[in-house]
Amino acid sequence: MKDLLLYLFYQLIVRPWLTLIIGVRFSNRQVFDNVRQFIVVANHNSHFDMVSIMAALPWRKLKNTRGVAAADYFGKTSFSARLMNFFFHAILIERHRKEGAPSAIEILDGHLKAGKSLVLFPEGTRGQAGVIADFKKGVAILLRDNPGIPFIPVYLDGFGRVLPKDKWLIIPLVCKVRFGEPVYPAGQDVDEILEKVRDAIFKLKDKDERDRNVFDYK
Amino acid sequence: MTIAGHSIPEEILWILAVIFGVLLSCSAIIYLLRQRRDTSLLKEIHLRVWSWWRIAIGVAVVIAGPPWMGALLIAYISFVAMREMFSIGQLRGADRAGIFAAYLAIPVQYFLAWHFYFEQFLYFIPMAMFIVIPVLLVLNGRMNQIGRSMSIIPAILMLTAYMPSHMVLLYRLPVQPHPAGAGGLLIFLIMLTAFNDVFQFTWGKLLGKHKILPYVSPNKTWEGFVGGILTTSCLGMILSFLTPLLWWQACITGFVVGLTGFLGDSIISAIKRDLRLKDTDDLIPGHGGAMDRLDSILITAPFYFYLIKYFAGI
Repeated sequence: MKDLLLYLFYQLIVRPWLTLIIGVRFSNRQVFDNVRQFIVVANHNSHFDMVSIMAALPWRKLKNTRGVAAADYFGKTSFSARLMNFFFHAILIERHRKEGAPSAIEILDGHLKAGKSLVLFPEGTRGQAGVIADFKKGVAILLRDNPGIPFIPVYLDGFGRVLPKDKWLIIPLVCKVRFGEPVYPAGQDVDEILEKVRDAIFKLKDKDERDRNVFDYK
Repeated sequence: MTIAGHSIPEEILWILAVIFGVLLSCSAIIYLLRQRRDTSLLKEIHLRVWSWWRIAIGVAVVIAGPPWMGALLIAYISFVAMREMFSIGQLRGADRAGIFAAYLAIPVQYFLAWHFYFEQFLYFIPMAMFIVIPVLLVLNGRMNQIGRSMSIIPAILMLTAYMPSHMVLLYRLPVQPHPAGAGGLLIFLIMLTAFNDVFQFTWGKLLGKHKILPYVSPNKTWEGFVGGILTTSCLGMILSFLTPLLWWQACITGFVVGLTGFLGDSIISAIKRDLRLKDTDDLIPGHGGAMDRLDSILITAPFYFYLIKYFAGI
C-alpha cells in the first residue's frame, strides 16, 4: 500500500513537475523492462539526481529499489532519515566508518543478496556541473561479488545548474536523464570493472549533443 | 456552436475543420503507406506530423477554447521558450537569482496583459525588470562577465515573455465587433506567421539564387524573402474575414507579418550559429526546440498587435 502510494506520488506529481516545470527529459526508460535486479550507476551533481531516477522507475522496480545516501548528511536528524527512507527506500551509509561497524560494502552486498536493486553515485558526493569526478571502488567490488547483477549506467545532464550543491534556489532549466543499456561486467579485477562503469557513463555523456554546449559554471 | 457556455464562431470552426482535416488525411496516408512498407523516411514524416497534431491542438485551445485557457497556454509556452533560451544561454552560476526573477516576471506580465492594464504592461519589463535583474546580479557580487549577463537575461525576458504577451492583449482589445472575435484575430496572426515561413521556404526552393544572409542562414534567399512577403500579403487579404480589417489593411498587415517573421527567424538563427547549435532543443520531434518553432511569432506578435490597434483607432 505504501509502495503504491509512493509510485502514484512519483508518477502523478513528481514526474509531471519534473518534465513540465523543471524541464527534465528522460530517454531510454524502457531499459528496466528487461532486467530483474540491477545497480543504477550515475554521475552526481544535485539533490535532483536521486529524485529523477526514482521517478523514472516502473512500479515493480520502484518497490525493490533502494537509493544509497550519506548518513552523515541525510541522517543528521531522525526526521530526515525517515523521509529518505520513505521516498527513496534509502540505505544510509556512514562515509567515515566507525570502529567495529560493518563496512558499507557489506551492508550493500546484503541488500543485493536479499534481491534489492540499488541506485549508487560512485563519485561519493555532488560535484561540479559538467565534471565527473573519480569513482570510488565500492560499486566495482559489489559488481564483482554479484556477477549475475548488471549495472545500468545513467548520465545526468544539467541538474547541477537546476540545483547545485550548497544552493537552495531551484531554477527550471532543460536537463536530461539518459539511461544506457545494462552491462554485465565479467572479470575479477576491480579496477577493470570500475573502468567499464566509467566508460559506460562517459559514452552516454559523449552521446549527449548538448555537451558541446556545456554551461560555463564558475 | 456553444460548448459549456462558451460559444465558438462559425469562421473559427471552419478554420479548425480545415486544419484538422488536412492533418487527419496526412496521418491516414502515412498510416496506409507504413502498412505497405515502413521506411525511416516515413517514420521521420510520421514524427513530424505527430508534432503538428500537438501544435494544432495548442492552436485550437488558443483560438477556440475559453480565453483564460488560451491565455494560460500562451503564458506556459512563453515559459518553455524562456527555459530553453536560459538553458542554451551559457550563463554564469552567479546569474541564478537573475534568471529566477525573469521566470517570476512571466506571471506578472501575463496578469497585466489579461486585465489590460496597458500602461503597466508596457513598462513592467522594459523598465522595472531591466533594473531588478541587474541589481540582483550586482548584489550577488561576482563582477566577472557581469555586463554580458546583464544584457542577455533581460533580452531573453523581452524576447520570450514581453513579445508573446501581446497575444493575450488581443483577447481584450476593444476592436469593433466582428464575427470571428478575438479567436479570429489570433488565428489570423498564427496562420500568417506560419504560412510566411512556408512561403519563404517554398519560393526559395523554387527560384532561390541570391543569398540574403549567407553567414546566418545559407538557405535564405532574396527570391524566397520577396516571394514570401508578397504571398503572405495576398493570404492576409484572403483571410481578412477573420478580422475587422479592410482588404488593404489586411494586405499591409500581411506585409508586416512577412517582414517581421523573417527578422525573428534570422535573429534566432544567428544566436544558434553563435552557440554552434543546430536546434535550440529537441522538445518537438522533427522540429527541434520550442524556440525553433516560435522564432517568427515572437517578433510578429507585437507588430501585429500595434497594427491592429492602430487600424482600429484605439
